[in-house]
Amino acid sequence: MSDLEDDTIIFSTLKSFRSLISGPDRSLQEAEPAYGRSDLQKLYTQRVEMEEAAERIRSHTSLLQLTQEKQQMELSHKRARIELEKEAHSSSRDLQRQVDQNQDLLTKIRHLEEKEEKLSQALSEQLDNNKALKRSLEELKKQANEKDNKLGEGNQMISELKDEVQTLNQKLQIQESKFSTQNLENQALQEQLEMQRKKYQEVNQKYQSLQSSQLSSTESELKIKELKRRLVLQEQDSIIVKNMKTEVARLPELEREVKRLQEDNLYLRETKENCSLLKEETEGLRKKLERMEKVVEEKLKLELEKEKLEQELQAWGNIGQTTGLNISIRSVEKARAQLQSEATELRSKALEEQKKRENQDALVRRLQKRVLLLTKERDGMRAILESYDSELAASEYSPQLTRRVKEAEEMLQKVQAHNTEMEAQLFKAQEEAGTFKLQAQAVALELETLKEQQSSVSESSPITTEEELNSLRQKIEELESERQRLEEQNNILEMRLERHNLQGDYDPVKTKVVHFRLNPTQVAKQQRAEELEQLRAECERLRDRLRKMEAGGAITTDDTTLIIPPSQEILDLRKQMERAELKNQRLKEVFQKKIQEFRTVCYVLTGYQIDITVENQYRLTSVYAERMEDSLLFKASGPVGSGNMQLLETDFSRTLTELVDLHLFHQKSIPVFLSAITLDLFSRQTVV
Amino acid sequence: MAKTLQGITLKGSAELVAEFFSFGINSILYQRGIYPAETFTRVTQYDMSLQLTTDPKLKNYLTNVVTQLKEWLFDCTVQKLVVVITCLETNEVLERWQFDIECDKTAKESSAPREKSMKAIQEEIRSVIRQITATVTFLPLLETACAFDLLIYTDKDLEVPEQWEESGPQLIDQSEEVRLRSFTTSIHKVNSMVAYKRTNSM
Repeated sequence: MSDLEDDTIIFSTLKSFRSLISGPDRSLQEAEPAYGRSDLQKLYTQRVEMEEAAERIRSHTSLLQLTQEKQQMELSHKRARIELEKEAHSSSRDLQRQVDQNQDLLTKIRHLEEKEEKLSQALSEQLDNNKALKRSLEELKKQANEKDNKLGEGNQMISELKDEVQTLNQKLQIQESKFSTQNLENQALQEQLEMQRKKYQEVNQKYQSLQSSQLSSTESELKIKELKRRLVLQEQDSIIVKNMKTEVARLPELEREVKRLQEDNLYLRETKENCSLLKEETEGLRKKLERMEKVVEEKLKLELEKEKLEQELQAWGNIGQTTGLNISIRSVEKARAQLQSEATELRSKALEEQKKRENQDALVRRLQKRVLLLTKERDGMRAILESYDSELAASEYSPQLTRRVKEAEEMLQKVQAHNTEMEAQLFKAQEEAGTFKLQAQAVALELETLKEQQSSVSESSPITTEEELNSLRQKIEELESERQRLEEQNNILEMRLERHNLQGDYDPVKTKVVHFRLNPTQVAKQQRAEELEQLRAECERLRDRLRKMEAGGAITTDDTTLIIPPSQEILDLRKQMERAELKNQRLKEVFQKKIQEFRTVCYVLTGYQIDITVENQYRLTSVYAERMEDSLLFKASGPVGSGNMQLLETDFSRTLTELVDLHLFHQKSIPVFLSAITLDLFSRQTVV
Repeated sequence: MAKTLQGITLKGSAELVAEFFSFGINSILYQRGIYPAETFTRVTQYDMSLQLTTDPKLKNYLTNVVTQLKEWLFDCTVQKLVVVITCLETNEVLERWQFDIECDKTAKESSAPREKSMKAIQEEIRSVIRQITATVTFLPLLETACAFDLLIYTDKDLEVPEQWEESGPQLIDQSEEVRLRSFTTSIHKVNSMVAYKRTNSM
């Protein structure tokens, strides 16, 4: 800006200079004849102005330069400051880093110091442990020493105990010998004891026999006494019997008398009853008489009334005839009914008055009784008072007497009160009875009137109503019982329904049961059926194969693709088996033949047929045996191959005792024995 | 959903009941071991964890039955649903889980939703399913291989689609019955009971 201002100043000064220059030209042109000096002055002034302007411009430019230098200085200052600040920052950072490093080193030093301490502590602990272990070692050594000492002591004890044991053993032996001697003594004593016991038992038995004999004797004595007593009683009885006989003789007479008395009794009772009956009859008749008299009186009265009424009727009839009015029967009947009711009323009134009179009589009687009681009380009181007057001196007994008197008075009062109550109750009862009687009579009268009315209507209705009532009641009862039965049935059926509903029952009319066709049960059943079929088919196949295999031919591979090597082996084995069996059979036959041969040869050469009857027993039958059963039995004693035989006894051998003795016992040779037997038999057989 | 917070409509009730049956039948199959336990997976429903089968054939069958059941519930023509468990060897019925359905037919005419909270219904359903799980303790063991079937008792005049056929009630011979809890949506009421074959050892 300053440059621009500078330039503008320069341009403005140039412009002014030019204007000056041109001005004077103009001025020259205009005013040529003007003064020449003024032009020079003007030029000089203009030059001066221009030099001033130039100086100003130079000063301006120097200013500008100075300002520019100043700005540059400022800029360089700023740059220097910035660089210094940066250096300061970096130096501060370095400082911080070094400080941090310092701190790290310090912390490391501290850690190391702590470790040192810990290690020193550990060292010290280890030393302590060492010491403790050493101490324990020493203690253990001491304990070991002690134990050794104890062991030595124990050994000594053991030796001592062994010595003791030996001594004890010796003592034991001595004791045992003593014990045996004592046992012997014991046995001797026991034998004595047994002898004593036997004696004691004998004595006991004797004693018991004695006792039984004594008992029997006592019993017999008792029996004797009883018999004597019975004798005495019987004598007494006989005496009594004699007396009884005399009395019995009197019996029939007494019976006769009794009968007579009974008859008299009956007769008297009957007469008494008759008497009472007669009395009642008389009373009844008297009452009837009285009633009849009354009835007669009433009848007279009624007849009088009737005459009066007839007269009235006639008068009414006359009136009726004169007036011409026909009086109906009903009005007459009404008049009659009215008169009847009046009559009943009158009768009831008469009865009431009778009752009143009776009540009055009862009252009178009661009052008389009261009067009597009162007079008695008064007399009693008077007597007491007189006794008081007479016995004023008796002071000892007065309190008691006064007490008694008071009690008596109280009793009296109570009795009076009770009496009055009873009389009142009686009065009430009589009144009630009277009223009841009135009611009963009124009811009876009503009944009679009703009966008369009903008899005019119909006679059979009351019976029918009763019958209807009974029938209705029976029906009601039957219906109620039926209802109960039906209720029970209903309950049972409801329970059954509920149960069926729970079980899943349904009414086929209203509901139906549906299910999906392809349901899992169906599917499972089908699968099962298929499995079954498959299994059955396999079974059949396997059976066929089995059959074919058993038959043993070449197996056709129509249904099996497997070749079965074992079948060849089986065939070979079977052939081998057959061959072995054939061999066996042949061997058996051969053996049998040989055995047979050998046996026959033996029989022929030795003269004995040897059979094995039982295991180890051999029966020999001679060629020359007289009977088939003659045989010798030999048994092998000892091991089978040794050949030691013993002769068992048979019937035949019993006949050969001499030979047995000679050849078996003395000569101990069985072949000699057998040959002796053959010789003997042969000699017996052949007749030379 | 028709189950508004304010109330239950007929359609909503039918869906609720069908859903309950689907889970209930799965529970029964798992508990009684009709299908191996490894073919079931755990799901959460009614605020409890239940087992649901993963076997595709079984799933297919169940969805078929349950959708049809939903229709019939909406028409109020179904009376009972029965799960019948049969022994494959002897072809005998061993167990019968019977659910009686009582439908309030007036809900059809009036379409106003009924006042019953979902929470209460869920609580009731939860207790029923818990009881089904608990009955396993006294039911006799099913030792042989078994299969199940679903029977539906409907009105006699109902036309059934092609895939359904009539069958017998498949009652148990000599059974013991136990009545279990019931729940109601205020339109449908479901009573549950189980009948099992009496074992001679007791």
